Amino acid sequence: MRLNEDPAAFEAFYRRHVDAVLKFVARRVSDPHLAADLTADIFLAVLDSAHTYVPGRGSEIAWLYGVARNVVSAQHRKAAREARATGRVAGRRLMDDDDLVRMEERIDAERRMRSALEAMAELPEGERAVLELVAIDQLTVAEAAAALGIRQVTARVRLHRARKTLETVASPAAVYVEGQA
Amino acid sequence: MSNFEERLLSALKEEITTRTAEDRMTTTVTPDQRGSRRRRFVGLSAAAAGVAAAATAAVVVLNGVAGAPAYAVTKSTDGSVSVQINAFTDPEGLEAELADAGVKAVVDYLPEGQICKSPRGQQGSASGKFSTSLTKEANGISFKIEEGQVPAGETLVLAVSKSKDGDDKAPFAMSLEIVKGAVADCEVTAVPQPPADGRGGDGAPESGLDSKTDGEDTGPSLNQQTQ
Repeated sequence: MRLNEDPAAFEAFYRRHVDAVLKFVARRVSDPHLAADLTADIFLAVLDSAHTYVPGRGSEIAWLYGVARNVVSAQHRKAAREARATGRVAGRRLMDDDDLVRMEERIDAERRMRSALEAMAELPEGERAVLELVAIDQLTVAEAAAALGIRQVTARVRLHRARKTLETVASPAAVYVEGQA
Repeated sequence: MSNFEERLLSALKEEITTRTAEDRMTTTVTPDQRGSRRRRFVGLSAAAAGVAAAATAAVVVLNGVAGAPAYAVTKSTDGSVSVQINAFTDPEGLEAELADAGVKAVVDYLPEGQICKSPRGQQGSASGKFSTSLTKEANGISFKIEEGQVPAGETLVLAVSKSKDGDDKAPFAMSLEIVKGAVADCEVTAVPQPPADGRGGDGAPESGLDSKTDGEDTGPSLNQQTQ
């Protein structure tokens, strides 16, 4: 079974995770149109990257978040904008007014997480990535490590360092939305 | 019920169907350099203008089944030759029609899952500007050969792995190349499995995210004309 060849398998995967992906995006952008685009882009990237997913080796969600992170990264957004111009699946065109309202509500609900993310902006990229997935997206350390393609012990060390840094700097409460460490 | 999530799902499933069909159409084209060839095919199909209006000669060969023409070879005033294949029967007849239109061709139709081992000879000189466009019709295929694309001494080599559902059904796979000089006989081989997605690559999720190049690849889809 391959996600990118079997529409039924893909549909099952999509239904399992579309909510998590919408949340993931809503935690990171505040523009509902962009959020719709990124959601579509993430699932397109899932199709593109389906060959890197080995069922049973690491959790599905970890793999998906690894893909999602890349899509949402600033560097990718630029490329995606160009790709959209050539007319692949464009998320924002699939939204009607009701969807727009719902998307705004989602984004609003994640406001606290977005400010927590902003508080992490100063951290070194490697540390921030781990903390983000654990504290914000509620992955386990093992899943975060898998999503980032790093070893668990590395993830643990980075997480520890990141928390320590934030502690000494500002300690925004949201960062302690206790990730399962 | 229709909302963003459902509409997105439909759009994505459509994308899967498109990509799968596209992979089938291009996957067997010179497997050793699939990447570049694939791009060429896909990129140029965007320019597929269809059969030129000013056709001077049209040859239609009737296939016994239901009276539908098995194939049509049309030479336009601009020198291009349009080929439409509705049923994968009578390869020799198609070769003859193509020869009449000035294109030397070797055509092989094989059962589903089988294809000729590629390449069949030295690559044609026009490879750099190979602009044969390929359109997947409802069931058959059509393509257009621009003037000079298959010059004297070169041969258009077409191999089709037919559908097990019938000669007039959408083919399982096909390969199209232009060979300079002698063309090797068809050495039957299994249609290579698309390596996951025809792109290869492995490793961490990051490395899998090659959607930038994919974006270009899948942009003007080969199958846009199909439903």
